[in-house]
Amino acid sequence: MSTAGVGLQRWMTPRLAILGVVSLGLVGVVTFAMSRAVTGPSTVASPRPSPQPSRPALDPAEEAYMRAMWPIHGDVERSLMRMSLGQILYKTDDLSRAELKTRIEQALVAYRGAETRIRALSPPTSLRSDHEQYLAAVRLFQESAAEAIKMFKDGRDEHLLAAYPKSQEGSDKIREVGGKFWPNEFPPN
Amino acid sequence: MIRKLLRVTMIVGLVGVVGGLGGADVLQARQDDKEDRDQENGQGKLPPQTLRSGFESTDQLLRDVERAEKAPLYSAWIVESSRFMFVPFGGFQPDKAGLNTTVNLPVNVGIIEGPDGKITLYDTGWKQLAYIFDWNTSCCWKGIRDQMHAIGLDPDKVTQIVLGHAHWDHAGQLSEFPDAVAYIQKEELKQIDFFLNYPVDFNAGHIRAVNTVDPMTGAQVGPPAQACARTPVCGYPPQTIQEILGKVLHGKAKIVDGRHEITPGLVIHPAFRGHTYGSQLLQVNTARGQLVFGSDTYSSWTGIRDWLVANIQQTDTIQQFLAYEKCYVLTSRLNSFNNCVSAHEPIAYTAAYPLTANWWNIPNGNCSRAAELILAPGKTTHVPASPDRTLCVNLNAPPHTVSP
Repeated sequence: MSTAGVGLQRWMTPRLAILGVVSLGLVGVVTFAMSRAVTGPSTVASPRPSPQPSRPALDPAEEAYMRAMWPIHGDVERSLMRMSLGQILYKTDDLSRAELKTRIEQALVAYRGAETRIRALSPPTSLRSDHEQYLAAVRLFQESAAEAIKMFKDGRDEHLLAAYPKSQEGSDKIREVGGKFWPNEFPPN
Repeated sequence: MIRKLLRVTMIVGLVGVVGGLGGADVLQARQDDKEDRDQENGQGKLPPQTLRSGFESTDQLLRDVERAEKAPLYSAWIVESSRFMFVPFGGFQPDKAGLNTTVNLPVNVGIIEGPDGKITLYDTGWKQLAYIFDWNTSCCWKGIRDQMHAIGLDPDKVTQIVLGHAHWDHAGQLSEFPDAVAYIQKEELKQIDFFLNYPVDFNAGHIRAVNTVDPMTGAQVGPPAQACARTPVCGYPPQTIQEILGKVLHGKAKIVDGRHEITPGLVIHPAFRGHTYGSQLLQVNTARGQLVFGSDTYSSWTGIRDWLVANIQQTDTIQQFLAYEKCYVLTSRLNSFNNCVSAHEPIAYTAAYPLTANWWNIPNGNCSRAAELILAPGKTTHVPASPDRTLCVNLNAPPHTVSP
């Protein structure tokens, strides 16, 4: 061993060695933390939100109408979802024919009830066309359900296919009206 | 010494007896459960509280890598279907709430071209123009078919669509591809159906099935303070489910249950509860290794890199991390987490997310962007010779009738 090596051995007592290792560790942790703070996940600096155009002010009649439509809309959507998913799960053998029949019958009742409730509302002139569009959608849903239910009379599943375009068109219509009336219904996902 | 040993042995024994009396077996999986899992899995490796069809072991994933590496190489791009503007960072990634800033989130669609020229889409982006433009909450929407034409890809060659999940902003343009076969997890559909049966006001309104906002003000109704209360059905408008139904009725849907190899080099992996109940990933064999498209399970690429949750919807955060881990395993041979493809990464289309660095504004694309991720050998680039890379934000959305 060289003279320098012997000198180092004498100088490097076990206690000093442990102290050195601990100090080095601490320095490493601090350096790592600082580097993370400096180079942390880079993000595109987004400007603060610029003033967004807000919905034009509603008059009391418009607001009252939209509020009255909201629970009806919820019932229509849930019935449509249950009927659509019922058909999908029937096709994948996860729902029995009898269960699908029940769902479609329930949906038909719900659509008829929704039509009655919507007709009882008096839309302001500004919302008359949306009112008519929603009514048209509900009628399409009824026609679609009435067509689908035929499969339980003659045993032909093709009625589901025949019923589909009407429910698709109706769902486009209520999405369009819903987007105008209740823009917060489906937030970013 | 012997006395000391005896004392220790007695103490250990006593602790054991007390533990036994106290019912320590509650920590163990029930024996019949275990046998059940052994039977199902054939290896007894399935952890408890994991859906059988959603579980994949590291060995199974690595076998998929080996198989894929023998398969043809694919080319891949992403296009931005639309862009959420000024989203609070903390709302997207809870760990970033302290930054008190906002981010713009792209909504990316994956385009994967096989050696035969046939195209597989991963997600289909938005359809709901009314939602986008009525109140200018977003920018840059462009129809996916137009986007594909504009970057030199033929939308008529789309033969398959893998839905990472069925939320409206990812499954919105299914009907634009009537001949393409859509792949969706059964778990996704079954869980939407299950939660539709939830009472509207379960648990004093803390949990609701749908429609948890005040219809007029957008304020949260009831006790939960989050948008949509993170309820399980709020991301699925009937319109989107109708589009899936259309695929099913026309024989153009494959409802899968867990892992599924579409073709060699193109493998679906379940990521149940990684974002929604039936989320799924897509592994793609490319010249830069395995790419893993993750939709909203991989909402944030930096989240995968830094091990942070993001975009928590119907997410079990552990399952999201396990889905991150699937990407780490599948990409372990080459490029690691750099090959995880994110749906909403704020720094996408910049060099900071290297996979997306080769980006450009889509010509006449309403400020939407595209990125070429990787080309198969011998393929020609689709990036223009002089790509427009000016960050463009179109707040003057295309005209859309607003009433009232």
